[in-house]
Amino acid sequence: MDLTFQLFMYVLAAMVGLSLGEQTFIKGGIDQDLRTDGRKRLTYRPIFVETGIIPQASGSARVKLGATDVIASVKAELGRPNPSYPDKGKVSIHVDCSPTAEPSFEGRGGEELSTELCSALERCLLGGKSGAGAGIDLSSLCIVRGKVCWDLYIDGLVVSSDGNVLDALGAAVKAALSNTAIPKVQVSANAPSDEQPEVDVSDEEFLQFDTSGVPVIVGRHYIADATTEEESQMSSAVSVSINRQGRICGLTKRGGAGLHPTVILDMISAAKHVSEQLMNKLDSEIAAAEACDEMES
Amino acid sequence: MEFVNPEGLRLDGRRPMEMRQLRAEIGVVSKADGSAVFEMGNTKVIAAVYGPREVQNRSQQSNDEALVRCEYSMANFSTGDRMRKPKGDRRSTEISMVIRQTMEACILTHLMPRSQIDIFVQVLQADGGTRSACINAATLALADAGIPMTDIVTSCSAGFLNGTPLLDLNYVEDSAGGPDVTVGILPKLDKVTLLQMDSKLQMETFETVMQLATEGCKAVASYIREVLLENTKQLESRRGV
Repeated sequence: MDLTFQLFMYVLAAMVGLSLGEQTFIKGGIDQDLRTDGRKRLTYRPIFVETGIIPQASGSARVKLGATDVIASVKAELGRPNPSYPDKGKVSIHVDCSPTAEPSFEGRGGEELSTELCSALERCLLGGKSGAGAGIDLSSLCIVRGKVCWDLYIDGLVVSSDGNVLDALGAAVKAALSNTAIPKVQVSANAPSDEQPEVDVSDEEFLQFDTSGVPVIVGRHYIADATTEEESQMSSAVSVSINRQGRICGLTKRGGAGLHPTVILDMISAAKHVSEQLMNKLDSEIAAAEACDEMES
Repeated sequence: MEFVNPEGLRLDGRRPMEMRQLRAEIGVVSKADGSAVFEMGNTKVIAAVYGPREVQNRSQQSNDEALVRCEYSMANFSTGDRMRKPKGDRRSTEISMVIRQTMEACILTHLMPRSQIDIFVQVLQADGGTRSACINAATLALADAGIPMTDIVTSCSAGFLNGTPLLDLNYVEDSAGGPDVTVGILPKLDKVTLLQMDSKLQMETFETVMQLATEGCKAVASYIREVLLENTKQLESRRGV
């Protein structure tokens, strides 16, 4: 008896804690194309991008999407390429959820969400096993075939979460990559594994990149960029990653409710439409951030 | 290696008794009850406070006072070499415990029985003095959360290299192998709540170094008070007072 009571209390405390009135308000608002913060269904919250915030990383960015705040950093280190792909570099992504975002993330609590975000990002960026179709051109990371290549370590940190963390992370990784400067390496011809990296000449490494549009379904309509309260009411979500050419680079469906295939196709087209605006907005923000950065330095 | 050159300047151009530049911002994580960012030179730390709220683990609940919990974690990119394990390693656990004990001493826990206060500290950039920056950030976050305290807690570190006491060591000076004294004080009550030292020092030199660190703490305290005052003024103006 006591145990069930405790469990019940814990579950209540863990939920966002919306009353029935609030839930009806959110659903009704979405039905009428007017969300709680005044946005339309497919409108994104204002995005703020700051680049170059971590001086010791090769590239970094901080993205604020409403109250969601994430930091991404890119570190480039020299390493050996995978023997099966001797002319490709390596990219590894890791996401960490800081307990500052959510008290339940302390200790190992945030691991589940971290793994989910990590795999979603990997799916968008890294492409298939052979590296084909990856967002980043891995062969440009190769220095000496079979011996030396660049290892890119992309680290994401969720500082504050108010819904739609995946989008913010995608944007942050994109901004961090565009901010990344990888030094040119000159290989001395004599010794087999000798390199002299020249740090003064920097190379901007950033190729066709993707950004994720996440439409979620609340009730019978789709909304993009949900806040935590809206996310708690959603039945399922589809995260679509789209690159500049309008091609789909990755797809993740979350949530247990079954969806009719036409609904999914519908959501994908909604995502494509939304992502164009988001991409333009993001590009202008990144350019502004970089210009700001250059003015300061 | 020379840490204080003949003109009396350190590696980053500071004088021996000069602190690094301090910068603080309150209310960065809107979801938390209280939050703050504290920078000491290149060391940047973000602290978030959730509480007082219901105790998650009933067995730890206390009927007379609030439960204070703390977790310290470092971001993967915070140090020069990428860290493999952001939390759970021994150093993080030790620092979590240290921060918890320090803050517990100043929070009026008996005013909030059967509740829990969580302090989460995340290091974004580490360049020496992370412990001190964390305590200072936690103080600001607790003040932002409106949790009653007897006094603010401030912390600063000092060391002794090349025969000179140095205030506020950065990473290079810290890893030089010389002594590193970290002091945490309650400035108004003039009491020491945290004192840690590694390596070895002669007794008289220790007194000098500790005195220097305490002075540093007082300087941090006056800065923190300014920041809190500024924050209150902004809140006042927002409320239209």
